[in-house]
Amino acid sequence: MIRLSLRDLWGRKLRTALTMLAIVLGVAMIAGTYVITDQIDNGFHNIFEKAAVGTDVNITRKAAFSGSDVFSSGGALPVALLDQVRAVKGVADAAGTVEASGAVVVNGKSVSTGGAPTLVFSTAPPRFSQSTYIAGAAPARDGTVAINAKLATDKHLQVGDTIGLGTEQGQQQVVISGIFDFGNSTSIGGATLVATTVADAQRWYNQEGQYSAISVAAEPGVTPDTLAARLKTALPAYAEVKTSAQSVADNTKAVSDAIGNVLRTILLAFGGVAVIVGAFIIFNAFSITVAQRIREFAMLRSLGATRRQVLASVIGEAGALGLIASLLGIAAGIGIAKGINALFHAVGADIPTSGIALAPRTIVVSLVVGIGVALLAALAPALRATRVPPVAALHEGATLPPSVVSRYSPIIAAVAAVVGGVSLAAGMFVHGTTASRLFEMGLGAVLIFVAVAMVAKHVVRPLASVIGWPAARFAGSSGRLARENATRNPARIAATAAALMIGLAVVVFVAVFAQGFKTSFVSAVDRSVNAAIVVSGQSGGTIPDGALATVRAVPGVEQAAGVYSATTQINGGSTASMTGVDPVTFGPMWRFHWLKGGSDALLGKLTGGAALVEEQFAAKYNLSKGKSFVALGQTGTKQRFTVIGEFRDPTLLTGFTVSQNAFDRLVPSNQRDPFYIIASSSADPAQTEAAVATALKAFPTAKVQTKADYTASLKKQVDQLLTLIYALLAVSVIISVFGIVNTLVLSVYERTREIGMLRAIGTTRRQMRRIVRYESVTTSIIGGILGTVLGVLFAYVVSTRLASQGITFSVPWGQLVVFLIVAGFVGVIAAVLPARRAARVNILDAIHYE
Amino acid sequence: MSDVRQQGIEIVLQACERPPSTPEPVVGAPAVVVARDLTRRYGTGDAAVDALGGVSIDLARGRFTAIMGPSGSGKSTLMHVLAGLDNPTSGAVWIDGVEITALKERQLTQLRRDKVGFIFQTFNLLPMLTAKENLVLPLTIAGTKLDEAWLATLVDAVALGDRLGHRPSELSGGQQQRVAIARALVSRPVVIFADEPTGNLDSKTGDEVLGLLRRSAGEFGQTIVMVTHDARAATVADRIVFLQDGRIELDCGRMSRDEIYDTIKSLEATSERGDGGPAR
Repeated sequence: MIRLSLRDLWGRKLRTALTMLAIVLGVAMIAGTYVITDQIDNGFHNIFEKAAVGTDVNITRKAAFSGSDVFSSGGALPVALLDQVRAVKGVADAAGTVEASGAVVVNGKSVSTGGAPTLVFSTAPPRFSQSTYIAGAAPARDGTVAINAKLATDKHLQVGDTIGLGTEQGQQQVVISGIFDFGNSTSIGGATLVATTVADAQRWYNQEGQYSAISVAAEPGVTPDTLAARLKTALPAYAEVKTSAQSVADNTKAVSDAIGNVLRTILLAFGGVAVIVGAFIIFNAFSITVAQRIREFAMLRSLGATRRQVLASVIGEAGALGLIASLLGIAAGIGIAKGINALFHAVGADIPTSGIALAPRTIVVSLVVGIGVALLAALAPALRATRVPPVAALHEGATLPPSVVSRYSPIIAAVAAVVGGVSLAAGMFVHGTTASRLFEMGLGAVLIFVAVAMVAKHVVRPLASVIGWPAARFAGSSGRLARENATRNPARIAATAAALMIGLAVVVFVAVFAQGFKTSFVSAVDRSVNAAIVVSGQSGGTIPDGALATVRAVPGVEQAAGVYSATTQINGGSTASMTGVDPVTFGPMWRFHWLKGGSDALLGKLTGGAALVEEQFAAKYNLSKGKSFVALGQTGTKQRFTVIGEFRDPTLLTGFTVSQNAFDRLVPSNQRDPFYIIASSSADPAQTEAAVATALKAFPTAKVQTKADYTASLKKQVDQLLTLIYALLAVSVIISVFGIVNTLVLSVYERTREIGMLRAIGTTRRQMRRIVRYESVTTSIIGGILGTVLGVLFAYVVSTRLASQGITFSVPWGQLVVFLIVAGFVGVIAAVLPARRAARVNILDAIHYE
Repeated sequence: MSDVRQQGIEIVLQACERPPSTPEPVVGAPAVVVARDLTRRYGTGDAAVDALGGVSIDLARGRFTAIMGPSGSGKSTLMHVLAGLDNPTSGAVWIDGVEITALKERQLTQLRRDKVGFIFQTFNLLPMLTAKENLVLPLTIAGTKLDEAWLATLVDAVALGDRLGHRPSELSGGQQQRVAIARALVSRPVVIFADEPTGNLDSKTGDEVLGLLRRSAGEFGQTIVMVTHDARAATVADRIVFLQDGRIELDCGRMSRDEIYDTIKSLEATSERGDGGPAR
């Protein structure tokens, strides 16, 4: 029987290819995701490993608490600690280094890094250094730096050239003493690397008398573990001592958590959507071919084949299809990973990757998903095939017995809808880990899709007559015939449209949700910020604290205030965001939405242990005016704050807000930088903006904008993200195009005789093509409408749930219309091949065709 | 007994003509369908089969012609070539004075739409359309206006009564074929080609259908060409053309069923004597 299955696959190459593509693309996304994220993880692991050569033990400052921010560090180590380290028995050598982030200015222009950081670190003795100099040497004098080879190549820099370096103390003019590779790479993930002297780094980055880390080398015969143990006992508790092997593992994990895992989860979600869309297409393809092969099955049955054998034949075919498609998908996934790498490279973000990381896990998951989906989707059609009675071999035009499933389909649909709804609700309202909640929501959405797809056949007829009306009205007979064709087999059209529905529902969900996010976030900025000018950092980073004084000194600036933010641990439990402001300057430039009778007068009382709390923070810790809570900062300092007022601001000043002095006590000096500086203007805002921009040239990471420009750029950022998401979702839409093509090809094949008759009685080829095209467009628009409705509905539910976090529900009508038009185009494109086939039908063969 | 039959056949055959070996040129064209020297060869080389070996025929307006012949005699091929569904290897066909063998695909499609009607063995109604919608389909496709009076006449003729709003699956075979006949008539084509119209029907409904065809020729003056191997069906024709091995063997007038049977017999006998080519 399996030979028969394979023969059948081979015998219908076009159908097989189209059906396979549905799985190939989904599996390719999954395999590609694993490959690329594994490559990234491996790449970073290699770098950390190389960087650790020569170092046996690493010492940093222990974080006061571990928060959601994986890169959060506990501040700096005192210089004196180095002597303590050197005194420990078994230490051959030790060196302190300073690390910070800065910016490079070449010829007066800030070097754009495309989102990658500019890392500044002090040089270490050669034994600890990870830098290989390809020109010049490490900086020996103050005022000189070494730069990584990529920066030198990109900006045509040579030893002896002068560049600007953005620091906490403003821009420094420095001379290039050397150019180096880091390990063997010219860069790390596109990052710009600048090596300075220890003294310069300490002075420029507010770390006088401090090191960020101390590297230790062991004497011969002393193992890193032994040395680490000795150091742990000898050093104060705030010192975090790790063997370099441990550091490499921890750092790799941190990067993996921050990049690999996040990227993996997001990409897998899109791959999952693609796979589910593919499942619908496989279900549909098998349903149609089983219907077309009734006589073949009946013949087999009459020759003595058991039901089980018929089942095995169809399932075997699905399995073989799934296997081949999965293998192709894995190959395509490797291709995709290469493509993404090339893309990263092209935009200048050289994320370090190593080799083709095809882990066994990747292959197993891809095969299980690909074959599993094919088998599951083909199960119902296969069961139907077993119900073909042998006598059907004798009838012409025998139809399939109704499937067992179809009798119960309303019940199944209802159950799927209810379970889906409950699962969705559980994901949204019941507390649990983020992963499990996302899973519940995803499962809920999938079940609802299935339910809608099952019921959809009942709305196909009314929808098709509405959608087909213009075609029937204005395109004459072709339109009318197409409309009739579209309603002939509502179940088939419903399943075909469902594939597009899913892709489009997710697109619409994202669009509506993003619109809500955009509206709420941007309107929050609009509403709260009462200042003409907004200064922000590069890619969401901070601005050197020194910039604030510079802004204040600009003529035309009335007042300027920094908005400082840091993570703190509340009452020894979870973490929350703490905002530090200077109430005198900040107050007039911020419109608080006061609750419970609060007013701007409260700002006057914001000193010492007083805190203003955001509504949600208050609810979470059960706080109200007069009550208090304890916050632990990364300095290791605990502070008890008493609530003096409550306000609502779910997007900007989340958590709690305290005075600048209180903030500074809890946050290490090297982390005490504002995220924003807002300034009011006594003159024309545009002029003041220009003046501030000129003054802030010394701080190349600071970006000066008028409030209007700032909100516009926020919108633009959301739109850029949306474009990326749409690109990922396009794969699902493309798969559904193949689904429509497949269905149409099969329908054309099924109606060969009708087409022959129509052609014989004078239907032109053009009319024939038009009939197929209209049917295709009708199908795709049904999918579009269903998808839009579902997407808006999902977005409504989720937005409502997140209303307390400031997300509003807002429908981008224009965009929805565009999506529907796109859906129509999908139909036109999908119809090209089937329409050509219909037009090419040989009339003579067709009318004698059985 | 055998002698009597033999005599009968002779008498019958006297009413028939052997076609002239050299056809006359087309003059004035009182005939609506004219074919000259049609050959149709399938395949090439050793596998080549001549389905038509030089057929010339004139079909006069308003006449009901049956084309008969055993399987493989080329009767279907002849019909397909006459109707412009298939191209002859050589020779030419004129329909209503237009040389269809010289037309391009699109013009040919339009000619079929405007001047030719078809009736198929398997009815070939569109399952999603009602009987009435199927009936007017050619007009719908052509985008021509409906002649209500003509439609009423047709509806009356097919005698479907209240079943016009039903879909084909709700109609009997005979009813479906009657709709198909009306569909062929609706655009008032110059000629209707019917391919074994009773092939899928029992004898009673077959008779109804034949009656309708006969009346169409008589009452509406419709030119009809019917391919059949059913002697019973051929009795309604004004003219019966017998094909054998791709050639017109006999061209007769009206015949009774027995006469047709006898003719077929005698033709088979001729064939068995070995003066025919290989049967296709």
